[in-house]
Amino acid sequence: MLSSTLVDDDLARRAVAPASRLTEAASGAERRVVDAALRCIARWGLAKTTLDDIAREAACSRATVYRTFPGGKDTVVAAVVSAEIDRFLSSLETRLGQADGLEDLLVAAVTHAAGWLQGHDALQYLLRNEPEVVLPHVAFRHYDDVLATAVGIVSPWLVPHVGPAEAPRAAEWITRLTVSYAMSPGAGLDPTDDQSVRSVVRTYVLPGLRTTVQTPAPHPHEQE
Amino acid sequence: MALDARERILEATFTCVARYGLGKTTVEDAAREAGVSRATVYRLFPGGRDELLQGVIAWEVRRFFTRLADAVVDATDFASMLERALLFAHRAIRDHAVLQKVLETEPERLLPTLTVESDRILGLIQVFLRPYLEAERLRPGVDPAIAAEYVARLVLSYIGSPGGWDLTDPAEVRLLVEREFLAGIVERPDGAG
Repeated sequence: MLSSTLVDDDLARRAVAPASRLTEAASGAERRVVDAALRCIARWGLAKTTLDDIAREAACSRATVYRTFPGGKDTVVAAVVSAEIDRFLSSLETRLGQADGLEDLLVAAVTHAAGWLQGHDALQYLLRNEPEVVLPHVAFRHYDDVLATAVGIVSPWLVPHVGPAEAPRAAEWITRLTVSYAMSPGAGLDPTDDQSVRSVVRTYVLPGLRTTVQTPAPHPHEQE
Repeated sequence: MALDARERILEATFTCVARYGLGKTTVEDAAREAGVSRATVYRLFPGGRDELLQGVIAWEVRRFFTRLADAVVDATDFASMLERALLFAHRAIRDHAVLQKVLETEPERLLPTLTVESDRILGLIQVFLRPYLEAERLRPGVDPAIAAEYVARLVLSYIGSPGGWDLTDPAEVRLLVEREFLAGIVERPDGAG
């Protein structure tokens, strides 16, 4: 299994300090290589993608790739994972900022995350063809890390509506539902569909949440 | 009996997996442990080693959920059934020596099959839940089929990954069941909610 420790470290780090971004791929070369690697993986998967493929796709030399990522393929992959998680979390924050009220927040979290996961070419390729690469990072205690990261992002948005004590659990709850419906869709529900998700949130989730006063304080981000 | 032989071979394979792991268990190991010939194993598992290993994973998953069903058999209602299920499942997974060892050393060999199996199990759990749900007073607008799927997904989500919850604590489990499983589904006795 490739780079499991590097990816696990990333997730574990985020679980502890989700707000602090890892050092982003600042240099142009890093960015180009990471983007190129992502395109290769979407096309051929992880096992069959070589550094040569990545270099060619990035229109740079192998030497450049090695200079930028001395650890080789493992570190390129870890950088890709980190960059994609950053991109996802940032897009989720933006989407949550557009939501109006608790129900909307919960629905937005589910539909956005499910849409992002299902529309991610590289991830879907791997889930279909190389599930052993992805699944160990989202199962059992590694899933606890994923949940903790999601809670770190979503919980602050819920605090004004359900209070600080309940927000983390509510965030974990909505994350569990999202992952379950998005990763193993049944006939039951399309988690990217606003109507369907709203119905589930109204019926099964909202009744279990204790909401606070009607005029919530603004989100911490909005106070800056 | 072919069924007995198949069962015996799977049980023997499980013993081998406990001893050698998924990656190192061979058809020959399983045959020897089961006291049958390799030819017999290949006859019953034409897909060879791959089919055997997928089979033993499915076999142990089925056994796990049988034990789970046994653990909740005395529960009188939906709430207490779910509480027992979560308490039992959490402890059983934590104490499952073979599972823990495989997760530690070779998760990539287990998880794809386990994921396929759990999708299959989702349907079985829903079927298991229906009678409990139908014995409860459901909140208006709750469809038992959708509710069963919702509960099954959430139960599966909690097995193996407790998240922020202490699933060894009956009081926490009771709170979890009340908030996330029941609040939307079951009519409160006083009609509230």
